[in-house]
Amino acid sequence: MPRTCQLHPFTVLALAAAVTATTTAAGRWWLSVAVLLACLLLAAWARRARRLAGLAAAILAPAWGSQLLIHGMADTAGGHVLAAAGPLRITAEGLATAGALGLRTGVLVAAGLLCTLLIDRHELIAAVDLSPAPPQLGYLLAATLFLLPALERRQRAIGQAQSLRGATPGGGPRGWFRRVRLRSVPLVLGALQDAADRSAHLAARGFPAAGPHTRLREVQDSAAQRRVRRIALACTVLGPVAVLAPSWMGAA
Amino acid sequence: MSPNLILPQTATGHPLRRRMLAAAGALLLAGTYTALVLTQPTGLTDGLGQTVALATFAAYLAAALLLLAAVLPELPVATLTLIPVALALNIVLGQFVGSVMVPLYLDSLGTVLVGFLAGRRAGAATGVLGTLIWSLFNPTVLPFAAGAALVGFLAGTAARFGTLRRPYLAPVAGLAVGVLVGVLSAPVAAFVFGGTSGVGTGALVAAFRSMGDSLLSAVTKQALISDPGDKAIVFLLAALLIYALPGRLSAGFAFVRRHNVLGSHGSK
Repeated sequence: MPRTCQLHPFTVLALAAAVTATTTAAGRWWLSVAVLLACLLLAAWARRARRLAGLAAAILAPAWGSQLLIHGMADTAGGHVLAAAGPLRITAEGLATAGALGLRTGVLVAAGLLCTLLIDRHELIAAVDLSPAPPQLGYLLAATLFLLPALERRQRAIGQAQSLRGATPGGGPRGWFRRVRLRSVPLVLGALQDAADRSAHLAARGFPAAGPHTRLREVQDSAAQRRVRRIALACTVLGPVAVLAPSWMGAA
Repeated sequence: MSPNLILPQTATGHPLRRRMLAAAGALLLAGTYTALVLTQPTGLTDGLGQTVALATFAAYLAAALLLLAAVLPELPVATLTLIPVALALNIVLGQFVGSVMVPLYLDSLGTVLVGFLAGRRAGAATGVLGTLIWSLFNPTVLPFAAGAALVGFLAGTAARFGTLRRPYLAPVAGLAVGVLVGVLSAPVAAFVFGGTSGVGTGALVAAFRSMGDSLLSAVTKQALISDPGDKAIVFLLAALLIYALPGRLSAGFAFVRRHNVLGSHGSK
């Protein structure tokens, strides 16, 4: 059974933002690797290490491949040429740039995905709802997150129904277009009809509520957490400034 | 008339404040883009490179959030219920298209649908919200929120000026939108991530780089090859889906009625 974090969702997000911004500003490989390992350890604590690794690999593998191609194999500026053949030019500087960019992207992806795995979705929606953000934002977040699995189920059901009635899309571009049409037309029309029905019900109940309203679900929060959030947000801005200020002075 | 059926109409915020927020967002976006194009910083991983990456990320995200704050409070209920459907369609259809090995994204179909049916403000809000929610599953899309907002905004603008009255105009508008979005998003790809998110597009950028282009120039050229085609197909599919809607459903949107978005296609 996966564990979720008992912290307020905004505390987790603020800490992740501070860590990502400061690590990006520092640009030190050992710091980035330490952050990646810490993310993996926290995911292991939440019993989601395998999920974090799988999701991160799916995003990072093509991004790293792209960075390696652009900087590692077609570098035009580096002086230490390791290999060259036709338009390909592999240099030590290019490989170092690709590695640094890969670590920067890795930290962003690992920290972001860890937040998703640690934060309970219901808590996040409740936190947005209780915050000073417009009430529409909480509704949109909740509706989208809970509509997604419903639409995925409906899409599969439509696919099965089309197969049962013998609608075969065929191959090639025409088959692809027919397949998209067979799936998307019933899916989109049904979803839009549902949205139109829902809007009348919501309007009848006075949505969006302008004044204060009672929420049954509470989000755990404390003065200490609020202080941590303020410090983390300050670090998100001031951390990179403190790290990068010497390089700006050097450039000036 | 009040959008609520049983409650009196109440003012939602200050129009001047919302206009100022939208103007601040647009200015921030335009200023960041202009500064990046004019200066074209060369270092990616040195002190200047880290500064540019963080500043670009923060400015594009802040601009998108300012635009969202300006637009969200004034959206009618019919549009608010449409947006989650559009966001879910972006993800579900994006995954479906990805699973059939066709090199297209089609992950902005829902955003374009909202732009066509509910106007440019709703389209822009859908673009930003879609990116924010998608970032829960893929954090690298976060700085592209402004580009997604532009897709929705331009889809609404195109519908307002009659793109849906002739079926062949939709892909033409999509091509133009693809060019603008590709140009706007290129600095994020170049300076924040140092390239693209896929190996195929990365190979294209590498080819342009080996021919002597700067990184920004190479990424922009790659975006100009990939984005217009994708957006043309998305605009065409969204237009065909809207033609297939029952008239009473499409006419339920004030934007469609007010600007006669569908022309003769709406009188079914």
